Amino acid sequence: MSNLEMAPASILKVEHIHKRFTSKNICVRAVTDVSFEVKAGETIGIVGESGCGKTTLGRCIVRAIHASEGKVLYRAEDGQIDDLITVDKERMKKIRKEIQMIFQDPYSSLDPRMTVTDIISEPLKANYPKMPKADREKLVVDIAAKVGLNTSYLKRYPHAFSGGQRQRIGIARALILNPRIIVCDEAVSALDVSIQAQIINLLKDLQRDMHLTYLFISHDLSVVEHISNRVGVMYLGRMVEYAPTEALFSKPLHPYTEALLSAVPVADPDVQMDRIPLKGEIPNPANPPSGCYFHERCRYCQQKCIDEAPALREVDGRSVACHFADELTLRGFHYES
Amino acid sequence: MSENLQTSPKLTRKQLKAKKKEESYYLASQWQLMAHKLAKHKLARFSMMILGILYFIALFGNFFAPSDLTSYDGSSKDMPPTAIHWITEDGRFVGPFVYGATMERDPKTYKKVFAEDKEKIYPIRFFTHGKSYQWLGLIESDLHLFGVDEGGKIFLFGTDSMGRDLFSRIILGSQVSLTIPFAGTFLSFILGLVLGSISGYFGGWIDNLIQRIIEVLNSLPSLPLWMALSAAIPAGIPPVQMYLLITVILSFIGWTGLARVVRGKFMSLKNEDYVMAARLAGVSDIKIIFKHLVPGFMSYLIVNLTLGIPSMIIGETSMSFLGLGIQAPATSWGVLLKDAQQIQNIANYPWRLLPLIFVVIAVLAFNFLGDGLRDAADPYK
Amino acid sequence: MPIIDIKDLCVNIQLDEGMLTPVQGVSFQIEAGQTMGLVGESGCGKSLTSKAILAINDKKCRQTGEILFETDKHEVVDINKLNPRGKEIRDIRGRQISMIFQEPMVAFSPMYTIGNQINECTRLHITKDKKQSKELTLEVMKKVGIANAEKRYDQFPHEFSGGMLQRALIAMALVCKPRLLIADEPTTALDVTIQAQILELMQELQKELNMAILFITHDLGTVAKMCDYVSVMYLGRVVESARACDVYKRPLHPYTQGLMGSVHKIGTLKQERLFSIEGTVPLALNLKPGCGFYDRCNQRIEGLCNVVDPELCDMGDGHCVACHRCKKEATVHE
Repeated sequence: MSNLEMAPASILKVEHIHKRFTSKNICVRAVTDVSFEVKAGETIGIVGESGCGKTTLGRCIVRAIHASEGKVLYRAEDGQIDDLITVDKERMKKIRKEIQMIFQDPYSSLDPRMTVTDIISEPLKANYPKMPKADREKLVVDIAAKVGLNTSYLKRYPHAFSGGQRQRIGIARALILNPRIIVCDEAVSALDVSIQAQIINLLKDLQRDMHLTYLFISHDLSVVEHISNRVGVMYLGRMVEYAPTEALFSKPLHPYTEALLSAVPVADPDVQMDRIPLKGEIPNPANPPSGCYFHERCRYCQQKCIDEAPALREVDGRSVACHFADELTLRGFHYES
Repeated sequence: MSENLQTSPKLTRKQLKAKKKEESYYLASQWQLMAHKLAKHKLARFSMMILGILYFIALFGNFFAPSDLTSYDGSSKDMPPTAIHWITEDGRFVGPFVYGATMERDPKTYKKVFAEDKEKIYPIRFFTHGKSYQWLGLIESDLHLFGVDEGGKIFLFGTDSMGRDLFSRIILGSQVSLTIPFAGTFLSFILGLVLGSISGYFGGWIDNLIQRIIEVLNSLPSLPLWMALSAAIPAGIPPVQMYLLITVILSFIGWTGLARVVRGKFMSLKNEDYVMAARLAGVSDIKIIFKHLVPGFMSYLIVNLTLGIPSMIIGETSMSFLGLGIQAPATSWGVLLKDAQQIQNIANYPWRLLPLIFVVIAVLAFNFLGDGLRDAADPYK
Repeated sequence: MPIIDIKDLCVNIQLDEGMLTPVQGVSFQIEAGQTMGLVGESGCGKSLTSKAILAINDKKCRQTGEILFETDKHEVVDINKLNPRGKEIRDIRGRQISMIFQEPMVAFSPMYTIGNQINECTRLHITKDKKQSKELTLEVMKKVGIANAEKRYDQFPHEFSGGMLQRALIAMALVCKPRLLIADEPTTALDVTIQAQILELMQELQKELNMAILFITHDLGTVAKMCDYVSVMYLGRVVESARACDVYKRPLHPYTQGLMGSVHKIGTLKQERLFSIEGTVPLALNLKPGCGFYDRCNQRIEGLCNVVDPELCDMGDGHCVACHRCKKEATVHE
């Protein structure tokens, strides 16, 4: 199997993945030609505005939905590399334990009819049906303590808990199988500010203790900046830029990233907002523009952008999909040391 | 400091009680939460009480009814409800009693006129021994709640044209009228659940087929359909089989709405995050259906069932009213109402409409109960 | 003279479980042309406060205190004393005080065109003349930056994007040139780039109309951009209130400090951990005396904070805070 290759430090490699939804002659390209590589132990942030395909991308990776094209290479714990899109059922059952997901809405992600113990132990029952009940319950208590749940409340139902605590239950359920990759789909977006901080800190602690790799999907740039090692910016189903966090935030290479960063309100009244205005609105993904998807709204647009779609390419050791990435000097945040 | 004492962790009894209540709320399952919410719905609580009484009376019908279905009294046809007295003419207190009855004809109109014979006093006796019956076909007994001594007559709701006690017939008729809907809904429940689940789970052409069948069934006018179906029931079959066949006819139409509810719920629950979480955890499809999906819509199903019962009651009543349902000697509320078909009958013997009141009470009670259940069905909102 | 002056506003709801007090003793005032930010987490009572100003709270809510509003005839009325269904409040609601909601997608009826719905407001309050009101509506639609207003006038809400709908909602709120605009999380449901546009639009229109804005949000970033003054709410009380720059530079209340610490400021170097406030916001049910933040506070004084309600005190320069610790330290310094 020659084409199943990736760098030794990598755990996940997404190659040219596409996802199209078709219904009645309308084809919506939710994800178009996205590629990136993830090193073990890293946190990758995926940002973008609503409808940019970041959630679909995450679901393709956990194989909740089936990608239309492309490869998702994954190095399993036993060292074997599989393509998650084509892997057979038997093998997938093994790998499934290693890739888990945390959901956005702490209310709809827990079955209200099950007790907390039942919710957290459900993955155990499914994967280790022969495990004695006592062992299972011990594992549940351990993991609950780890995520900061009061272990005397495990017999309760979800309606007894606040949003933050429910999110902890969701995290415990994702962790009970000892996964290696966790896809966090807007995992803190529905929470209050002070609770957000608790959950982010918890995720960081767990990453350190359990050697986890996160794929952190969010629209909140400040949360992503805080938690990620690398950030991918998506626009209309395409990855327009993929770079280490600090580099991306201080010196964006793609004009969309620049506009996005300039629009974020900084929690400091002294920082003046100097927004780069974007023309028009996000185009309809069922009918994307020609060439570079961003050209209609880009202030640096040239004829080449209208004619030709830029591919994601290496510039200064980072990836960017813009024809003029090495010519433009774009504005980011100034980091003070 | 006295202020410090106040804030010491010692809880007062009231606080402890509140805490216990809170704890039980946290530990309450969906059904417990639903019961709690239902108990708060006053109208539903009241309806449940009414229905409880109705079904209790139906269950021990032979005991509550002073007479049985077959007995009649030729001398007291079309008699109005018997008046119950406590004090005699001369002011003597004897407890509840009835006077003897005499019948005369109006010399001009030849109409029957019943008068009380003030000479004869028949006290009402409780727990008397009268006609013997078999309770549920098992236990032989002749105990009745009330009755009068030999010679006296007591017709609480009057009699019909054959001199049969309407009160007894309403009670014994309720055994049919109140249980047919249950048997019918049970059948539609099974049909709706199975066909709705298949439709919602598999989708595709199976879903399409089942939905079209539902549409066809729904487009048929129900009355002619009933008539056609009951025409197919052979004449002169025993009452028990008749009863079963009528439930089948009723449920034949009842399942369609239920199947739609099940299908809709199935589809919306399939997209809940917790279902996806279970799938990602490697839980099998069958387990997801029975652990997450079915419990998820069970409460809605019960609401729908409860709200479907009234139409079944009315369905049975209308069928029997038209002479298509239960046949003599068995009786039901609809059969009893058949006597009130002619306007002269209502004008002369208005008590023959009494079964209607029971139909209305039962239907309203089920509707109110269903209303309360609907409010309680989703305790998480 | 401020446009609105709220004094000791309380909202009570009697439940089976006891007395719920989502708003207890809130006071603040806003002057013309100013923006006041009301900041707090969910359940702190900020939305109920704004609804109390419009007298659109549920019947079950009992309101006490004063909401003094200066009408365009320069009379001062107490909204709390008006009949919530009366003529007077209906004249104020919509015309003199208007509101923008969080979800533009559900604020419009899908059955009517956008123009129709904005026009309804114009016809109700300004002019009965059909032609004139349509002109006014088109004018305000252009003003909020809806391009091609004539065509957009006849479109339905589902033909609008989220950002455009929020613009239309602002147009509807501004068509009567209100004296006070209440914006309840106006940009929470929008994307960042659109959020920035909407915030800028609101600022421009405020300058033009010289209206007061009550800006309700949980997002500290937008508050920093929008507001002159900030009131931080916790468990139904204002715990700190000051000029925006003072709150951000020198937060005094431990809750405000915690809130500031728990968001990562974008464009700054990474902290390893965010500061986080322990525990969760309690329910405002059967409240005990003392500071509402006592259980979660890392600077609490036992025997004082859990016994005596802290009052909002001026620490100098209009920087008010309701904290026993701050008060104590201030007196020591003197």
